[in-house]
Amino acid sequence: MTTSQNEAMASTGDAPPEHSRLTTLKRVVILLLVFFTAWHIFASFLWIAPYSGLRQAVPGKMLESYMIPMFGQSWSVFAPNPINGDYRIQVRAVVVEDGTEIETEWVDATEAEVTMLTHNLFPPRAAATSIQVASNFKSAYDELNDEQQDVVALGYYEGDDWRDRMKTALLAHGNENAVMHYMERSRITGAYATQVAYAMWGESVKQVQYIVSRQNVIPFDERNNPDAERPAVQSAPTGWRGTIVEPGQSQERFAEIFLAGVEESGQ
Amino acid sequence: MSITREKEQHQSTPAPRPPRRRSAVSAAALALGTLVAELLRRIGAVADRAIEYSEHWLVDAKHARHGLAVTRILLGLTALGLLAANFRTRYYAFGSGSAWNGQAADPTSDFPNIWIFSGFNRIATNDAAFTAAYLALAALAVLVVLGWRMKLVLPVFFIGWVSFIEMNPVLGDQGDNMFRITVLSLLFADTAGRWSLDARRRAMIPADASPLRRFLRGGPYLPAWLTNTMHNLVLVAVAFHVCFVYASGALYKAGGVPWQQGYAIYNPLMTQHFGPWPEIGAFLTTWAPIVTIISWTSIILQMLFPVMLLKRPTRIIALFGICSFHIGIAILLGLPWFSLAMIAIDAIFIRDVTWRYVTGRIRTSWHTARYGRPPADAVTDDSVSTANQRDGSPVSEQEAPAETMAR
Repeated sequence: MTTSQNEAMASTGDAPPEHSRLTTLKRVVILLLVFFTAWHIFASFLWIAPYSGLRQAVPGKMLESYMIPMFGQSWSVFAPNPINGDYRIQVRAVVVEDGTEIETEWVDATEAEVTMLTHNLFPPRAAATSIQVASNFKSAYDELNDEQQDVVALGYYEGDDWRDRMKTALLAHGNENAVMHYMERSRITGAYATQVAYAMWGESVKQVQYIVSRQNVIPFDERNNPDAERPAVQSAPTGWRGTIVEPGQSQERFAEIFLAGVEESGQ
Repeated sequence: MSITREKEQHQSTPAPRPPRRRSAVSAAALALGTLVAELLRRIGAVADRAIEYSEHWLVDAKHARHGLAVTRILLGLTALGLLAANFRTRYYAFGSGSAWNGQAADPTSDFPNIWIFSGFNRIATNDAAFTAAYLALAALAVLVVLGWRMKLVLPVFFIGWVSFIEMNPVLGDQGDNMFRITVLSLLFADTAGRWSLDARRRAMIPADASPLRRFLRGGPYLPAWLTNTMHNLVLVAVAFHVCFVYASGALYKAGGVPWQQGYAIYNPLMTQHFGPWPEIGAFLTTWAPIVTIISWTSIILQMLFPVMLLKRPTRIIALFGICSFHIGIAILLGLPWFSLAMIAIDAIFIRDVTWRYVTGRIRTSWHTARYGRPPADAVTDDSVSTANQRDGSPVSEQEAPAETMAR
């Protein structure tokens, strides 16, 4: 049996294509579709390719307003420098037991979550939650100047206005954009740390403290050296903070997954 | 000169008057004029043929119908797999357990602020509603895999999927963008023309069915010249898109010292986030030459992918190579759904004739094994050599029986 016969059988139900008879109107429609596709391809090319002067061929904000949000994308994945370190967030709390305030031990939230990822062919996205929180927090922290990093190392937890007081103290050292960024990221990190604390130590949590850090992997050239040690931990020390709970938060839904990870990680 | 004289001798009487000899300048001008006119005529003819070919390619038939059907099936499986892998932790990553990230109250993604994509965001903290919607989305993904009523189901699935995946963009990856852009494009193509419940149902419409019956059983709703054109333009756009993605990925990588020095894959494999199999990662990166080969091959393959598609032998190398690259990413970096989405899209580059041969062989060997004889429409092993010689355009194969193909 020849290929053409196979094809004929495989495509039973299809009429052999006749060359379509096109009227001018149809040709105009086809041309419009072709032009639109050509524009889409050109715009995608400009957006996906590294930034170049060719983007100036498109006037004004036309390219961005066409591509964003529907065609938003960025393909500098693992490039130019692939990630070479681990982000981590550790949390402890002050809890009230029988009227006395007690400091808890640290819990390594990242270690708990990555148990969902390690040795799993189909890891859930939840496994990287604390890694993303820590990574985003660390980049905001690194934008602060030295005086501001000293400020965030202090405790802010008394009353309802502790965030306002911290913001004022930070703004006293200028660097306004970085402060706004830090305030936003620290709110998310604080809200995450609060959930960790509630899951671990219950409703009597009064204050939380978190340490976000990054530690690079052993450099490639030393990977086969049995005595090689990982580079020093770069941490972002922050003081005690008040709790932050966002509306709609279910502490049970957070705790059931988080505590399973804590148990799995042997903490 | 001698040629002219010979010609003259051949000619019989009455001998024409020898043409007047022009000056060199005027002869050169005349010759140039003739040649330029000829060149323009030829360019015009080539342009005419190119336009005619393009028009036929666009309008006459849908290309890569099997390839796009495979894309649909694999993207459906990607969605289903992602939903299954995240089901246990759905509240923690997307729902009421994740309200601390502020996404439910004040989303950072643009999509929840667009009305039609806001559905999941609205019900994020309502556990029952979220779970019901999550399961409904999974059911839609199953229908996408099966190709059931794609003209209705695929748009609904697209809206639901974008709405769901943008609930927590912080945990997303580029696979989400690729998935969204590709499924949006596929809305305008016929992805259910092959290997789908839609195709089966349409094949069973009797020839004398009433227009209403045809309408209810799945069309066609629009004239073929229009649907063919849209289908083929989608194919072109998706093909260009994936080529841009690979080539720009290569350019970005080539700008980094770890890639230039060939050890780039070592770094992420050693992290917790992208090293789900630390033992395999350590084993694989022990011998430096292997690390360099993998790192550099990734760049070269991505950079050359578009041109390798042009010819069949290099196309096979490119597709096997990029598929291995994605399987590596899926397992070693723990990104299976990103990888499956990319593989799904690469399926458009495998020609219809190849898909038909492969499935024909599967059917024939199954039938032979089961009933002891090949089926009436058996596809034999040697027909591959015939198929291989017919190297059509890289993306597609004319859908029609070969003898009616116009070339």
